[in-house]
Amino acid sequence: MKIDIQHIAKLARLSIEEDKAAMFEKQMEDIVAMCENLPEITAGFDPVDPDHPMALRRDEITPSFPREDILKNAPHSQAGCVVVPRTVE
Amino acid sequence: MELYEMTASELSRLMRDKACSAEEAAKSVLGQIARVEGKVGAYITVTEEGALQKAREIDGRRAKGEELSPLAGIPMAIKDNICTKGVLTTCGSKMLHNFVPPYNATVMERLTDAVVVGKANMDEFAMGSSCETSYFHKTANPHGLGYVPGGSSGGSAAAVAAGEAVLALGSDTGGSIRLPASYCGIVGLKPTYGAVSRYGLVAFASSLDQIGPFGRSVDDVAMLYSAICGGDPMDATSAKRDYPDRDAAPSGDVKGLRIGLPKEYFGAGVEEETRAAVMNAVSILEKKGAVIKEISLPSTGYALSAYYMISSAEASSNLARFDGVKYGYRAEGCEGLTELYEKTRSEGFGDEVKRRIMLGTFVLSSGFYDAYYKRAKQLQQQISAEFAAAFAGCDLILTPTSPSTAFRMGENLDDPLKMYAADICTVTVNIAGLPGLSVPCGRGANNMPLGMQLIGPKFAEKTLLDAAKAYENEAGSFRAIPEIQ
Amino acid sequence: MNNYEIVVGLEVHAELNTATKIYCGCKNSFGSAVNSNCCPICTGMPGTLPTLNEKVVEYAIKMGHALNCEIHPICKQDRKNYFYPDLPKAYQISQFDIPLCGKGYLDVILDDEGTTKRIGVTRIHIEEDAGKLIHDDSFEGSLVDFNRCGVPLIEIVSEPDMRSSAEAKAYLETIKSILQYIDISDCKMQEGSIRCDINVSVHKPGEPFGTRCEMKNVNSFSGAVRAIEYEAARQIEVLEAGGVIHQETRRWDDPAGKSVLLRSKEDAQDYRYFPEPDLLTIVVPEQKVKDLRDTLPELPNHKTLRFMKELELPRFDANLLVESMEKGAFFEACVEKGSCKPKNISNWLLGDVTRLCNEKNIALADTRLTPERLCEMIAMIEKGEISGNAGKTVIEEIMFTEKTVAQVVKEKGLAQISDTGALDGIVQAVLAANEKSVADYKNGKTNAIGFLVGQCMRQSKGQGNPALIKELLLRYLG
Ligand SMILES: [Mg+2]
Ligand SMILES: [Zn+2]
Repeated sequence: MKIDIQHIAKLARLSIEEDKAAMFEKQMEDIVAMCENLPEITAGFDPVDPDHPMALRRDEITPSFPREDILKNAPHSQAGCVVVPRTVE
Repeated sequence: MELYEMTASELSRLMRDKACSAEEAAKSVLGQIARVEGKVGAYITVTEEGALQKAREIDGRRAKGEELSPLAGIPMAIKDNICTKGVLTTCGSKMLHNFVPPYNATVMERLTDAVVVGKANMDEFAMGSSCETSYFHKTANPHGLGYVPGGSSGGSAAAVAAGEAVLALGSDTGGSIRLPASYCGIVGLKPTYGAVSRYGLVAFASSLDQIGPFGRSVDDVAMLYSAICGGDPMDATSAKRDYPDRDAAPSGDVKGLRIGLPKEYFGAGVEEETRAAVMNAVSILEKKGAVIKEISLPSTGYALSAYYMISSAEASSNLARFDGVKYGYRAEGCEGLTELYEKTRSEGFGDEVKRRIMLGTFVLSSGFYDAYYKRAKQLQQQISAEFAAAFAGCDLILTPTSPSTAFRMGENLDDPLKMYAADICTVTVNIAGLPGLSVPCGRGANNMPLGMQLIGPKFAEKTLLDAAKAYENEAGSFRAIPEIQ
Repeated sequence: MNNYEIVVGLEVHAELNTATKIYCGCKNSFGSAVNSNCCPICTGMPGTLPTLNEKVVEYAIKMGHALNCEIHPICKQDRKNYFYPDLPKAYQISQFDIPLCGKGYLDVILDDEGTTKRIGVTRIHIEEDAGKLIHDDSFEGSLVDFNRCGVPLIEIVSEPDMRSSAEAKAYLETIKSILQYIDISDCKMQEGSIRCDINVSVHKPGEPFGTRCEMKNVNSFSGAVRAIEYEAARQIEVLEAGGVIHQETRRWDDPAGKSVLLRSKEDAQDYRYFPEPDLLTIVVPEQKVKDLRDTLPELPNHKTLRFMKELELPRFDANLLVESMEKGAFFEACVEKGSCKPKNISNWLLGDVTRLCNEKNIALADTRLTPERLCEMIAMIEKGEISGNAGKTVIEEIMFTEKTVAQVVKEKGLAQISDTGALDGIVQAVLAANEKSVADYKNGKTNAIGFLVGQCMRQSKGQGNPALIKELLLRYLG
């Protein structure tokens, strides 16, 4: 399996330096090759498990956090908001 | 004997009897940290001030006659991927080098009486088996400083093994508690998926991650486990049910207990010395009344592949939030949004993390989902079914924790597949959501510790601990702290 | 141009009016100070986990029942992965292959005759809303407000069953009225609490469907109409010029009145959906699904149609009565008495009663008006016992005082004289006193009769029954 490392990196918002691309590509291909020896499984895969139903939360308000706590780890904030490079609008 | 060398059960008794104070215990452990941390490197952050303050608070409350939990005043290390309110929580990554959570993980809320001496080193975002991929520094194995402590909870295991903490919390996604416990000669428990709340554990692979305890005795691990287990309304995947009583110490009784030895775990790839040590432990358990039988778990050989696909897929999504916007590292001088994302993530993550994010992105991407991710999930169901069938005929399954003793630092760093192979005995347990306990069972020719793994049906932690206690009673304690040299 | 058929499918996102957000206990409310309804969970901080609000599941099932959907009481949630600053986890928790509600349909009313059209519903699923980006020139970048992150949404996806912008508008309006009727969304358009994505294609009748384009970011119904018409015209123009339509996503710019290319099919997003591992299977007990259906009120589209077809109300009246659940119920209680005509009841309710409530800023329920009192009054008018004009006095009294209709009529002397004997003297006197008008009438100026009726009314101090007076006058005038 040939892996388009640059396409995958773009999807994952990573930029892979040219000198490392070959290494990553080789390692990824090795890992994927290991995964390709999996047997064909005939048993169906059930994506839901009704035997373990999820407990739902009651619709009751719990206090929000102070804005300072929400923003204190943000690298860049202004006017009570997190700041990002201007998005097209 | 110094206080830092004691087990939590012993210390707890001493403090209860006022034979020593929490402050003395904390100072003893901090003293050991001062002596050996330079060589071991178990911690990312040592919280000396907070620890002493908490210890004094505990002493004050005890003096007033307040009823305290058995863990009150016990010096503890917390893996640095468990959120601690107001205390740096880095996940061993540059990406979170400055992240101070404004909230506590649920386990921290359940351990409010414990004295946290520091945040333990780990492989970056818990991805690794050697504790060498931390952004900050590598952790050494206290039993041989040239060896890795195992990973990813290497800092937690090394801290407990070196007397730099009495107990520790780690997390285990594919073996990250059991492998370092085995390499560092201590006891480590990966609880049943859902037994311990994951709220506040920075996610690696949500469907596999589980927080668990390290200790230098089976009793200590049982004690810490009983304090952190239990359903949590903040974690929808945590199980609301009855859990072992916190005051009931493991019994050490294995009479009539049926122990299965899956042949797939003793075959090629497992070192002869490992096999011999584990079989020796088996004979001790047999002597104490356990019934030993050979079993088979035929899909074992595929588990590692399934594990890497499922865990990487979830990781690629879980780690997408680290983008330089809300917290942590942010690359400087970026023009637009895409550049900010790509630069931040490329500079903030190490290679192993990038590798797994890309693998996960690949297996989920359009056109590959069915062949990789879905097939891995099918295999997961098959592996779970094989375990369930096996447990119809036995109460426990016993295997080596890892095929060999700890490897040397740097040995596997350039070969991901070789590194991943260290987890070959442990990943199945996560895949099937079962509890797994690693117990020391001797040493290899290099004098490094070896471990055996006890695997139980879901929520059978007590059975695992009872059996481990039986072995500990017979084979001697695991608490000896090595000379750090 | 008109030899093309337009094909429209809609994806409607509606914010639910629960007290808390979908996955955390933060308040679900609009208009709070920036980043004040936030916690570590809804801002995607590391280590946090979602817990699903039970009301979101209930509300979505209610909507499913309202749209005749098959309900999937065993379902799951999935992650939709993409990077954007308003999505702090970098994935939206949504539903992919097993939505809470599957196939259904909706009958919409297309015209005043009550012609309906059945629009297929593909699915309804639950998901979380994203935050808001603020663009303000006084700041160097864009600001992110996370308040809206985690506000619960249902996404209602229709089949491509609409054939014009008018049908799309009727569908949207019906969806909105149902959401409000079953009280699961406030539907405040200006607050963006319902928004839609529109799929448009064009083709010649008899030919297969054309390639569709999706338009995002439409947040008003009139905008949807403009967007559909613009897009259809654009596509027809391309086709007429011999071009081909490429599947693409476009952004509707309402102020500019046009759509612009956002991305083409080639760089379509790869959302890498997979099951949300932080949440377990949603299992809604069968009884609960049933209970939610049983508590559903009669839906507004059905009610409107019934008012039009069975009670012969004009669509305008029917719509107004259905729009307000309170007035609708009051109206029906009056109709049930069977003592007066539905159209008359509707006139009074939508006319004077509504006006007086508005003037006094009071709810209908807080007045003393009951269906009995209103019907009693209307029946008197219908029987000619009081005049319609007198009713205007009566209604105010019976709405705001405890007096009975009879008391008001008596006290204010509003009873209409419908006794021929009593009116006969007045008619004769008026005829005698207005010889010129009588002569005019006989000379063919028939409108002189109006003047004479007016004179009689004056003589009777307004209490004469005008119809009867006219009848008597005509009899004398031969
Ligand atoms: Mg959507
Ligand atoms: Zn919140």
